[in-house]
Amino acid sequence: MLDARGLVKDYRRNRAVDGVDLVVRAGERVALLGPNGAGKTTTLLMILGVVSPDEGAVSICGFDLAHQRSRAAECVGFAAGYLPLTERMRVREYLRLYGQLYGIVEPNPLIDAGLERFRISDLAGAMGTELSSGQRTLIGIVRATLHRPRLLVLDEPTASLDPDVAQRVRAGLLDLCGRDGTALLMTSHDMSDVEQVCERVIFLSHGRIVADGSPATVASSYGRGDLAGVFLHLAEGHESSGSQQSDHP
Amino acid sequence: MTQLRAEPASTMTTGSKSWLRMRAIAKRHAYVLVRSPHRLFDVTLWPLVDVLLFGSLAAFVGTSGTTPAAKASGYLLAGIVLWHVIYQSQIAMSTGLLEETWTRNLLNLMVTPLREIEYLGGVALFGMVKLVMGVGVMVLGALAFFSFDTWSLGFGLVPIVAILLVVGWAISLLVMGLVLRFGTGAEALAWGVMFVLLPLSGVFYPTKALPTAMQPLALALPTTHAFTALRSLVDHRGSDWNQLTIAAVGSLAMLGLSMWFLVAMLRAFRKRGYITRYT
Repeated sequence: MLDARGLVKDYRRNRAVDGVDLVVRAGERVALLGPNGAGKTTTLLMILGVVSPDEGAVSICGFDLAHQRSRAAECVGFAAGYLPLTERMRVREYLRLYGQLYGIVEPNPLIDAGLERFRISDLAGAMGTELSSGQRTLIGIVRATLHRPRLLVLDEPTASLDPDVAQRVRAGLLDLCGRDGTALLMTSHDMSDVEQVCERVIFLSHGRIVADGSPATVASSYGRGDLAGVFLHLAEGHESSGSQQSDHP
Repeated sequence: MTQLRAEPASTMTTGSKSWLRMRAIAKRHAYVLVRSPHRLFDVTLWPLVDVLLFGSLAAFVGTSGTTPAAKASGYLLAGIVLWHVIYQSQIAMSTGLLEETWTRNLLNLMVTPLREIEYLGGVALFGMVKLVMGVGVMVLGALAFFSFDTWSLGFGLVPIVAILLVVGWAISLLVMGLVLRFGTGAEALAWGVMFVLLPLSGVFYPTKALPTAMQPLALALPTTHAFTALRSLVDHRGSDWNQLTIAAVGSLAMLGLSMWFLVAMLRAFRKRGYITRYT
């Protein structure tokens, strides 16, 4: 589904991503974790084709991203908690726009099903500016799943959500992955999100993968009881300079 | 829950998918125009103000009754109407991309299958609607207030309009490239570049009226030759095919260079991760 090999990205002052290999299989639910500045978002942006890697290659659904970006993008859905909705549009108009960008001629039945999945059908006629940040996030996820992507990429999907809405998102994602066999790759700072939704976690630190496995395996390999403990351990190592050795269990 | 499947995009031809995306982008910008009434000024009030300003100037100049004054009067009105072909096409395209940067919508679009050429096609498609509105207002204003019938210039206008349209698109691609490379700080160029082009292109006068040092620069611009051809129509001398040919070749070269520049800037945008400016 997703095959990223040897990804490297240098920005002016530092190496953001340093040789990341990432394979996500069909139907797999994977979390990409790590402290701020670990390279999560840059990795996602390279996978999405918005930032080009200095080294390495990405293939999605068999399409080489560097040469067949549009075909690869048809297989992917992306939403982020920090992204706004397109302005001056009602929710249904907004979803129609993105449905058509994904090649869906008549997206209305899919829009209705998507809104129903997250129990927000009442928002169809609302203007984007009338929505709360949580509602905007939900609409963003509906948009990302409208074309039934084979790979769903989410950056901080529950960052600004109330606990009940976050639970609705988790349930919706599990439902989607279960029914459609959609693979999921998400980042989150909420470890309970990750433990409930993902079956595999990958920890990044200083742009490198330092752990990869099931939540329980990764936690135990660091001698911690849960993922939050691993996260805190890595965050401490991230703050102290020249501590890359301590990132590893 | 109902099990629904999207019509697999792969069953559509590439051409029909592209057309669907271009229409979607055009519609997105139609919503922006309709739901931001102040933007309607660009295609209604400001063109009308321009036609009033230059029409009044033309009427004043024309009162002297001399032949050169009568000519200048026609040059002013025909010039300002045709100038808006460049202006409207350029502004419609440039503000299309700027709208995405102002509203932090770039990432939303860039992760979709939308190709860059489809985005430009969609913005240009809606830009044509704005062009027809803006220039239509001017043509009607010139007729209503100053009895200047733009249509009386005949079909010779068609190639001139086409050349000016291409130049407007070329400038907008250049502006888009600069915005991608330098951020929204470069947006002043979207408007500023037109104020440089206006006097140098001899929109209202033959370029021999320019300072001598400026004349070679003016002659290098395709717009100069297009407006020279326009004055030939105003003077009832018919289409000046020599000038039109130079203008056509120049405008296509300009479009090619602008496209190359935009592609290079887009590559730099992806390489340097400038998307983070808009997230």
